[in-house]
Amino acid sequence: MFSYILRRLGQSVVVLLIVIVITFSLPYFQPHGILAPAYAVLGARSTPYNVHVWAFQHGLLESYWTRLYQYIFQLVFHFNLGYSYKQELSVRSIIALYVPRTVWLALSALILTVIIAVPLGIFQASRRNTAVDYAATGTAFVLYAIPTFLLCLLAIEFFGFHSFHLPISPPEGIAPWAIFTDPKSFILPVGCLTLLSVAGISRFMRGTVLEVLVQDYVRTARAKGCSPLRVLWRHSLRNALGPIVTILGLSIPALFGGALIVEYVFNYSGLGLQTLNAALSFDVPIVLGITILVSIFTLLGNLAADVALGLIDPRLRIQGSSK
Amino acid sequence: MTIADSVAEYSDQDVPVPLWRQRLKVFRANKLAIASCIYIIVLAAACFLVPHLHPTNQTNQAIAFNTPQNETPSSAHWLGTDSNGFDELGRIFFGGEYSLTLGFLAGFITIVVGTIYGMIAGFVGGVVDAVMMRLLDAFLSIPYIFLLITLITVFGRSTVFLICIIGFTGWWGNSRIIRGDALLIRNLDYAKASTSMGASKMHVIKSHVFPNSISNIVTVATFSVADAILFLSALGFLGLGIQPPQTDWGTMLQSGAAQIQNGFWWEVWPLAVIFILVVVAINYIGDALRDAFEVRLLER
Repeated sequence: MFSYILRRLGQSVVVLLIVIVITFSLPYFQPHGILAPAYAVLGARSTPYNVHVWAFQHGLLESYWTRLYQYIFQLVFHFNLGYSYKQELSVRSIIALYVPRTVWLALSALILTVIIAVPLGIFQASRRNTAVDYAATGTAFVLYAIPTFLLCLLAIEFFGFHSFHLPISPPEGIAPWAIFTDPKSFILPVGCLTLLSVAGISRFMRGTVLEVLVQDYVRTARAKGCSPLRVLWRHSLRNALGPIVTILGLSIPALFGGALIVEYVFNYSGLGLQTLNAALSFDVPIVLGITILVSIFTLLGNLAADVALGLIDPRLRIQGSSK
Repeated sequence: MTIADSVAEYSDQDVPVPLWRQRLKVFRANKLAIASCIYIIVLAAACFLVPHLHPTNQTNQAIAFNTPQNETPSSAHWLGTDSNGFDELGRIFFGGEYSLTLGFLAGFITIVVGTIYGMIAGFVGGVVDAVMMRLLDAFLSIPYIFLLITLITVFGRSTVFLICIIGFTGWWGNSRIIRGDALLIRNLDYAKASTSMGASKMHVIKSHVFPNSISNIVTVATFSVADAILFLSALGFLGLGIQPPQTDWGTMLQSGAAQIQNGFWWEVWPLAVIFILVVVAINYIGDALRDAFEVRLLER
């Protein structure tokens, strides 16, 4: 088990290094290349001489490899992701403001997804091809096909204005604990984000449980007289949990992607909204910094999923230690 | 009856039905998938033909200024006009031309690149496979919409670029699936036998690995078209999609949804229904294709 985790950790570090190299190299391809911030800051004063001096002062004239080394060094030892010349703040300070906000949003949606999607999938699998199953599958299909932003806008229209009169936007400001101090205003954003992932995960859960239900050990359990409920919960669910944990780990990038749209629609300033605003004003360092950060979250999520898988599934534990 | 006749009759019964016809039969049994196909074909034909056969003003702001804005549906404008005074029904087809073209082209690029990459990684194996897969892991760990925004920020916006960006970034998931297939088939007996008889790697890929993984390739291709259309609409909503005076469905949904609260239902509901049905239909077709390629469902 330990060596298995260690091996996965090593893989994650390699993957993270590749992500950093890719994102670091991207600015070289923009108009004006690596000198773009010099042109942006100097504006009308960007004579070749001024640009050269500015670039020299900010270390942009160093070679690619020197800069890459410095970038990785700064990132690893100081968590320094560069400097936004537009906002005149370090990317790290901007990220520090908004990380908790996005993480709370995404985390609460993830927890709600598990609470809803897993029982729903099991229920659908045990009532296969009944009206309930068809209705749930149909809803999931439409939810999967509806663009995130449209779902949010329709939710605002119906539950914000038409009926229930829920708050249509979380409180403004940058308080990291807003979700706990004003939970009512988070019903719509968290609800939309949850619905979107429930659509995919309940469908997957249904398929997995269906596959498990035809296995021999389930038949054996039935044959020896287990109650249907016990077969479902003890014999099927424990075996279906493995794939579901993996898919939850893999769904983290999509969750952050959904959070970006949800933050934009509900005007909740988090990492996603910051990325978007930075992108629209061509503030490249912020976009790259947040991209790296979110990738780190994704890798950590996948790693956690793999570790959880090892804990859930004793077969994997033995395999891992014997290798 | 002569012997020759009975032999002919006997062999006629025994001639297996061609595989593609068996698959077509399974596909045709799925009524929903047939309906989906018809829907997509009719809609695509309408999107490509209507703007040319019955042109409505969709680009000239000056002329649109003289038509009433946010007008309720009437005989002149079947689905009313939008907030700029453009005819809504005509605009749905006008925007659909871009959305569908971009979706299908990007989906096509996605599947071609994904197949080639996955085949190479799965077939060559070893160190090459490990390196290629770690690279894929890196791509996959960057949330897709963040990556799209980053690339658009760095490279700028144009229609061709939009297709390329969605096409050349959407293939990672596909390529994983196809790599798994290639890896599996490479180790099956018939592929090994072919290699041991001296077949070149290219030959094994061409005549064993590719034909046997075609089911996954086709299925994944349909799903990636649906995904490309969805991502394009998200970009349109964020204002990073097709730039004016052209438009696409995402941009239209965004401007239409802003008008719901004024009660201008015709600016969002018809398009929303058409759009969602497109994605649902493509997914149904993908499901039916997967069934059609499932050997266990074939009747011989």
